[in-house]
Amino acid sequence: MADRDEIAEAYADWRIRCNENDRLRRMLRGWDRVVHLVATDTGDRFTVEVRDQMLAELAGGTDAVADLVVTATSEDFADLFWGDLNPSEKYMSGEITLAGAQEDVMRLDAMSMVAFLDR
Amino acid sequence: MTADRPAAPAPAAAAPGVPPTGGAALLRRALGLRTVVSTSAGLAFAALEYLAAAGLVAYVAGDSAWIAVGTAGLLALLAWGCFSELNGMFPTAAAIRLYMKRSMDDRLALTITLTYLTTIVLVVAADAFIVGTAIAHVLGQSTWVAALMIAALLAFAVATNLRGVKVAGGVQDIATSCVLAVTAVVALLALFRSHRALRFPLSPLHGHHPGDLLEAVALGVFLFSAFEWVTTSAEEVRRPRDIHRGMLIALALLVTVCSLITVAMSHVLTHHQLASAYPQLSLGRAALGQAGLWLMAAVTAVTAVNTFNGGFITASRFIYATAREGSLPAPLARLNDRAVPWVPVVALGVISLLVALVVALTGSWEVLVAVGAALEALIYAVAAYCVLRLRARLPDQPRPFRLPIPRVLGGAGIVVFGILAVTASVSVANKFDLVPLVVIALGASVSAAYVLFALPRVQAAAEAKKAARGRRRPPRPPAPTPAGPAGEPTAGVA
Repeated sequence: MADRDEIAEAYADWRIRCNENDRLRRMLRGWDRVVHLVATDTGDRFTVEVRDQMLAELAGGTDAVADLVVTATSEDFADLFWGDLNPSEKYMSGEITLAGAQEDVMRLDAMSMVAFLDR
Repeated sequence: MTADRPAAPAPAAAAPGVPPTGGAALLRRALGLRTVVSTSAGLAFAALEYLAAAGLVAYVAGDSAWIAVGTAGLLALLAWGCFSELNGMFPTAAAIRLYMKRSMDDRLALTITLTYLTTIVLVVAADAFIVGTAIAHVLGQSTWVAALMIAALLAFAVATNLRGVKVAGGVQDIATSCVLAVTAVVALLALFRSHRALRFPLSPLHGHHPGDLLEAVALGVFLFSAFEWVTTSAEEVRRPRDIHRGMLIALALLVTVCSLITVAMSHVLTHHQLASAYPQLSLGRAALGQAGLWLMAAVTAVTAVNTFNGGFITASRFIYATAREGSLPAPLARLNDRAVPWVPVVALGVISLLVALVVALTGSWEVLVAVGAALEALIYAVAAYCVLRLRARLPDQPRPFRLPIPRVLGGAGIVVFGILAVTASVSVANKFDLVPLVVIALGASVSAAYVLFALPRVQAAAEAKKAARGRRRPPRPPAPTPAGPAGEPTAGVA
């Protein structure tokens, strides 16, 4: 089980990778979205905002209205942000669930893939 | 916690173990019942519908095709029950992978899924062929112009998909409503303007073999094919129940409109017109003269909006996700700068073009209809099997929708759709013909060969790459030793 600090640390690393990736920033053109993250095992909730092709800092809670809701275990969130987990594998096995438009799901998956293409 | 870690965000007011409540109900953009209905009906009502309806007419006496359509509608209700239960259990775009994986050996599940994807290619190819041919006919042009039209249509569909253009829900609602309403009105006008009583409206077997009716029902099931694709939108709907309600309303609309066009076609069209690649244009002319012909040409073109939009998106995203999962070669997961999986989109376009051109040059669209009907019946039988297996394997999984008397209805689904699949695969235009069966067998063989021989290598390569990469996540620091009352460590104290 990953605690809030571990997820925050992983997210901070992922955020830098995403924001410094030119290709990813091109992919995010015009895609301003609010994404909620819900950890099933700890009950922790976070909000990620993408605005002007940049990822904002991780915010606690899920107060704003979301475009996309991602539900997974806290471990999966931490692994995902470190690039150690392929979210599609977990999605196709039903361990990660989503609520939102298919094109938004595609963009989010693209972020998780393109941010680690150099690995 | 280490000091150089970023500060964790303020905790949210949620307790561990609280189930997620942030579902589609709280989304900024979510699909309502109307869009679910239009998506389901629009995906099913492709341009191929007109040719399948005209083909069905040949199997029954006079104007009794509505009986075959109605029977097929009742059978489609069985499929609806199965898909509703499975979708409720797995409300995700990846549902087909999830419920098949849990019901059978994964290699078999993947083989069936890949074979089923063929249906999407067939429908896209058929729509390109029908729309291209209809436009060429209206303009008085030859087959070669139709072939150019087909290529242009598919190139347009590929280009718009690569640019990430998606038809908005509202536009789709309007397009589907127009197609269904205009088709129904044209069918009714054609019937009224014929000034003739219906022939054998209640005697489908008059001068026909009972096997012909079975074949007609199989084609009837094909009229509803793809209504279940809307289940891939399960993550986008405002209320989960909208999916099964929407599919039911869509089926009712499809039964009504398809019954009308089959009866109108059998009543007013000649055998030559029924066997043409554009029977709907002849129906339009019978109803409203030259204006009706143009109207139906426009309606045919609009059907392609749903097919090209829904078909390309559904298939390409599914291929992408399967490739990301590691079950298809990695190049199929390549994205362009608009986050569109361009390899599957281009591949679908090229394969659809080849199939459509072969059909245009050989005039073998009836084979396409038969293959589609057989594959659709097959997947319905598989869905019924999955319902039964999962009742035994996952009895405690929540089921927002439950198929009533599952042993009877599930068993009936396997048998009936199995028989319909076999029947449709060995007949073309009311004649015994093994070509559809050969086409399906080829598709299944290619899928099985890939799953059995190529997939293990694809998976091994992915595993090796993953192992070589190592983990980035820093190892978790050892848990602090609990301190005793005097600040002394308690662990290890004798």
